[in-house]
Amino acid sequence: MTISRRDALKTFGVAGAAFRLPPDATKHSFRQADDRAAVFLAIAEVVLPAEADRRAAVAAFTSWIDNYTEGADTDHGYGNTRIRALGPSPARNYAAQMAALDDAARAKGAAGFAAAPLDARRAILEQALASAKIDRLPARPTGAHVAADLMGHYFNSSTAADLCYRANIARDACRGLAGSDKPPAPRARG
Amino acid sequence: MIVETDFCIIGGGITAAMVAEKVSELKPGTSIVVVEAGSRIFDVENRMKYRQRNLDYGENAWPGDFIDDQAAAGIISRTMAVGGSALHWGGVTNRFSEEDLTLRSRYGLAVDWPLTWADLETHYCEAERRLGVSAELGAYAEDHPSQPYPMAPMPLSYNLIVLKEWADKSGILFNGTPQAKNTRPYGGRAQCQRCNTCEICPTGARYSPDFTFKQLLAANKVALHDQTLVRKLVKSPDGKRIESAQAVSRVRNGEAVEYRAKTFVLASGYAWSPHLLLLSDAANSSGLVGRYMTGHAFIGGQIELDAKLYPGMNEQHSLISRRFFRCAADVPFVRHDLRVWESSAGRDPRLKDAAGTLLLGDAALADWRGRTARGATRVRAYYDVHPSVDSTLTLDPSKKNRYGDPLPVIKHVLDEQTQSRKAASHDHIVGVFNLLAKANNGRLLNVSEGNYLDHPSGGCRMGSDPKTSVCDSYGRTHDHENLFVAGSPTLPTGGCTNATLTFVALALRSAERIASA
Repeated sequence: MTISRRDALKTFGVAGAAFRLPPDATKHSFRQADDRAAVFLAIAEVVLPAEADRRAAVAAFTSWIDNYTEGADTDHGYGNTRIRALGPSPARNYAAQMAALDDAARAKGAAGFAAAPLDARRAILEQALASAKIDRLPARPTGAHVAADLMGHYFNSSTAADLCYRANIARDACRGLAGSDKPPAPRARG
Repeated sequence: MIVETDFCIIGGGITAAMVAEKVSELKPGTSIVVVEAGSRIFDVENRMKYRQRNLDYGENAWPGDFIDDQAAAGIISRTMAVGGSALHWGGVTNRFSEEDLTLRSRYGLAVDWPLTWADLETHYCEAERRLGVSAELGAYAEDHPSQPYPMAPMPLSYNLIVLKEWADKSGILFNGTPQAKNTRPYGGRAQCQRCNTCEICPTGARYSPDFTFKQLLAANKVALHDQTLVRKLVKSPDGKRIESAQAVSRVRNGEAVEYRAKTFVLASGYAWSPHLLLLSDAANSSGLVGRYMTGHAFIGGQIELDAKLYPGMNEQHSLISRRFFRCAADVPFVRHDLRVWESSAGRDPRLKDAAGTLLLGDAALADWRGRTARGATRVRAYYDVHPSVDSTLTLDPSKKNRYGDPLPVIKHVLDEQTQSRKAASHDHIVGVFNLLAKANNGRLLNVSEGNYLDHPSGGCRMGSDPKTSVCDSYGRTHDHENLFVAGSPTLPTGGCTNATLTFVALALRSAERIASA
């Protein structure tokens, strides 16, 4: 009997794994929640624009991670006939990546990444992204690097599009038909 | 288990829903059983959640809408569930045109369809009423329906208003695409809320067949046997009738189910209808079951233009021009539709600029804003291509489902005349794209040719001659008096625009004959 990668993911959660991790493993295995949020925010201060609500962006990213379902069937809509499952949570890679960020910060004399000055954090992240050979923003988090994932998660959001266009387009909201024929209302700054 | 019924409809997609609904109206009190291999996904209350999971994670918005080991090679959708591909269709309800029915007599190409335009047009009107189409009268009078559309058109978004002004400058006239989406409550379904995710409409404003089935079930007009795979049609000893359909329950430990009916309707779409006929050695005295598989080819492009647009207002809605549905007989043949959508092509946020400089924080936002000063549009043309007899669906003995049935493989092959004009068709369409682009200081950024035929159909083509067709214009098979094929498999040619409304119109026309069978 053969077992497909998709079936393996559905059964074991992670391709090739012989056991299933606790449900909250991705949430707590590498950091306690407060610590993790502090690091995410420290990354956000570098990779997200000042106009963005960075705390909200970090909260949305954290929620995305925590609600990721390994092995869930993915979209196979019109023109896409391959049945696939979501792979291991990208967050499984973050512990090592964040530890490396801390190490790099300590090498610069800081107590940790979140405690490092902004310029130092920027230099560390630029080096990390270069080392990970990331050239594009991911459409969704992939685990290639937590900074790119956070950035991609935000910049591909409806919220970010509104910020870019300075308008309340509200791409992902159900808005009703009224007002469709008018340009979206200007977005307040911030 | 043996099930006896007046009408056995095999398949649970949009044509099955329409045939079941109409036959139940024409023959009140008759027994109708719909047999569908896939599951029923009737949990409307969860669709907002499914939509959100799809947006956030790319998860399947229709959980459980496929069967692992029931797949065909060469198909474009794996959906196998009550509602079929129309669970996640875009709701676009363009009509074909009279030229599609008269290709041979007008142009010496392919074949004529064995019915008149006036006859089909009547059923287009009925299809629009049953599905609930919102539309405006098009820019070209020859395309106007003989009866009013049921609903006012979907309002053009601001983006589409801007794009229409731009596109009309080319001299090619556009209007909003007709859609099976409610601009007011209709058919027991809600008004569109512009959720921008029509493939999973969370409000039910976009028609999908599950609503029809739920209404029919609530009124006890049909029985729905889902998760039941029909594996073979059994012929009478003289071969003139179908006596039963042999099926297997996918949930009751593979229990065999035999359906005995006065009339059988094969409404399983372009892949599984010819597949079942081939498995059954039925309806194939012509040798044309699984041949003349068809659809339409397409070319797309992206155009940058001088306009401030706001991508995301209603990405599903588009403009259409029917200008090129018609082709004079004395010029090189090319027929196509022409569609225009809002687009963010080339305007997505990025991590590095063209020089490879890393963009973080404010720099990334500034770069993004800088690239959105001009707008972009996506354009596409479905164009008319005609199948060869060697455009086939065959059984692949090397790939079988769990019951040992060989699965289908589809290979589209275009006829010689289509192939000989391919380059000219391409050049014409790119020329039209350039004409549009130049209308307002635009620039055609890229062009891409589709690598499959969209809105596939055929495999049981209709015709008057039993030697050159599988069924008559009503879908009644020439070989078996009580076996009908409904909808997409019966099309001799695939037109040059979205085909679902045509599948439905033909199925509704068939239903009249089915009811009186």
